[in-house]
Amino acid sequence: MDESALERYFDDSIAGDSSFLLGEELGPESLDPAHSQQDSALQAVKAGSGAELGDELDLSFLPDDLGPQEEPDRHDDTAGGPAEALNVSGDSGVFTDFISQDSTAANSQQGGALLTHSTSPFCPMTPMTPMTPMTPVMERSGIIPQLQNIVSTVNLSCPLDLKFIALQARNAEYNPKRFAAVIMRIREPRTTALIFSSGKMVCTGAKSEEQSRLAARKYARVVQKLGFPAHFLEFKIQNMVASCDICFPIRLEGLVLKHQQFCSYEPELFPGLIYRMVKPRIVLLIFVSGKVVLTGAKERAEIYEAFENIYPILRGFKKQ
Amino acid sequence: MAYQLYRNTTLGNSLQESLDELIQTQQITPQLALQVLLQFDKAINTALANRVRNRVNFRGSLNTYRFCDNVWTFVLNDVEFREVTDLVKVDKVKIVACDGKSESTQNKVDK
Repeated sequence: MDESALERYFDDSIAGDSSFLLGEELGPESLDPAHSQQDSALQAVKAGSGAELGDELDLSFLPDDLGPQEEPDRHDDTAGGPAEALNVSGDSGVFTDFISQDSTAANSQQGGALLTHSTSPFCPMTPMTPMTPMTPVMERSGIIPQLQNIVSTVNLSCPLDLKFIALQARNAEYNPKRFAAVIMRIREPRTTALIFSSGKMVCTGAKSEEQSRLAARKYARVVQKLGFPAHFLEFKIQNMVASCDICFPIRLEGLVLKHQQFCSYEPELFPGLIYRMVKPRIVLLIFVSGKVVLTGAKERAEIYEAFENIYPILRGFKKQ
Repeated sequence: MAYQLYRNTTLGNSLQESLDELIQTQQITPQLALQVLLQFDKAINTALANRVRNRVNFRGSLNTYRFCDNVWTFVLNDVEFREVTDLVKVDKVKIVACDGKSESTQNKVDK
């Protein structure tokens, strides 16, 4: 799920909207066989043209949760190693697209245009590709928002004795006069959970969807080990927060004048402009420095989509 | 009612052992021993609150924490206790801390 969202994002950013449609068809077919076969070849390709591509797509920012979603425990235990391996496989996923596009479309000019980031107009891969109006390739940001916080909920579906949990479990706080839940923390993934007597639980602080799920499972295991018949029902990510830096200052006043139905900007109250995007329904905090915070997403793709929507708008309000 | 927190200290344990001896030799009743301990609680609480002036700093890494019934329990590792005069290092220390508020709030807690 994460991988397909990121692949679509890359497809979109590399080849524009038209190949977003094409990428969807290519993606599942070309990536899976290509992954296993072409890894070594791709390394060579990557080494060769890494410098050029690296300028446009800063692939070092790849999220660490790509690749096959195996057992959450395995994923957790070997977080360091596969993170790099997954980054590599994420890279090779991009190159697979290049190579498959080159082979199927036989349009080397396209590859050349993308690699050298020239200002020549983007050529569609086949004459039958619909030319939908889209933001031109030059506006592609090459910046990927980094997830900072994920809030999720899960139902352990059994009533819990909070005082017993607070007395037996480590790293737990329970002050019923102030708040009717046990606040428990674990170190890996570094998260905090609110555990209620109904058996419902909120897990906050994880940096990725898989980490949030893994952390929630760890809390459920703690509760289970204390003797409660805990299950793991209806795990759902409720909110995702991401941030990024667009590396140029922004004229917030201009932005609020032009997009006033979406913006609210009260510099005396808060220095950031609050942009409420309608589609996708994401709230962005935009600061003069060029830092952007995106929140309100239920899916990673919503964050990426919102950022790609706002980037050309912000480019238009760059402070000279 | 004062915290019975200080009964498990060197001083408190010595008192309890002595009282147990007296009970064994039938010199006092268990009820009297209980009253002595309650008086000890009051005395040690007021003494620490009013007659102790020195300050100790400590620093270590937190292993675990717990907060329940308004009592904090910490386990720290590699702790340095520092007073102006000297320094003590320990591998592991367990800290049990009760709320240091006034008598009135204590009474409410006890109910």
